[in-house]
Amino acid sequence: MASTEGRRSQLLRGVLDLCLLAVMGEGPAYGYEMTKRLRARGLSIVGQGSIYPLLGRLERDGLVETRRAASNGGPPRKYYSLSPEGERELDSGVSEWKTTRDAVDGALGLVKVEVGP
Amino acid sequence: MSEFVEECRREWRRLGVSDPVANEMAADLTADLEEAEAEGGSLEDVLGNSAFDPRRFAASWAVARGVTGPQPPSRSPLWRPPVAIALTFILGVLTIFAALAILSGHTSSAIAVTHQIIEGRGSIRVVPSGPGRIVLPGPLGPFVGTQISGIGLDPLALLLLIVGVVGLALLGVLYWRPWSGSRRFRHQRGGGTPGWN
Repeated sequence: MASTEGRRSQLLRGVLDLCLLAVMGEGPAYGYEMTKRLRARGLSIVGQGSIYPLLGRLERDGLVETRRAASNGGPPRKYYSLSPEGERELDSGVSEWKTTRDAVDGALGLVKVEVGP
Repeated sequence: MSEFVEECRREWRRLGVSDPVANEMAADLTADLEEAEAEGGSLEDVLGNSAFDPRRFAASWAVARGVTGPQPPSRSPLWRPPVAIALTFILGVLTIFAALAILSGHTSSAIAVTHQIIEGRGSIRVVPSGPGRIVLPGPLGPFVGTQISGIGLDPLALLLLIVGVVGLALLGVLYWRPWSGSRRFRHQRGGGTPGWN
């Protein structure tokens, strides 16, 4: 089971930036809010690593824009949103992911496995 | 949770992150952690495995944002500690003098300080030792040598030679190997910058 977690983590490693950009596409969000959005889509494994360094890299690369604004009754938060360059990166990344996924499905789809409930 | 943030602050300070940036990161992290706590979550729910290593997490975040301060200049592989250089010099001189003393052929049972008097341009005359205190004339005044009675020349010189050679060998192994300097520096720079784990 540990190896399964490790494989999922490895698989997610290459596309987590795209996942973050995707949830930002739904609207500006602060760090923990993005974690919750990802969990709501079944990516609870995000808890195995931190999204903060990744958000930092996206900001440094100009793929996201940030602004500080008051949250609901809480302290001011740093909200992240897609920059135009981030939108382009998301589009090309999703396209690349689908191509890769189809190729992997082509290889792994031949294997018959019993998937549990 | 505040301990975690404080540990992050210390790491950012160590990495040269400016105070405004460190304050901003600490505020964002604190707000997220407090929100998670209010919802019944834990530090690990927000940070995963990073919750157990605040320094690693803080360094990873700062490096990813590109906000770390200037790093110390890398040392040349030829760099050696001043102590090693001084010891090498002392042992080298000791070894040379011991070897010269043995090679000079003194076999008497007494050892005396040997003076070298430079006479004129480029000429060196070595004055042999003699019994008791000796006074030698010289252009800058008389030189005084002191006899150490009862100690054989060869055993002492041999002992000094052995000490010198062994000491130099040890220093060579510890400090003067071609890779020793860079290896220590790599170790000092260790720690790395983790990412997703």
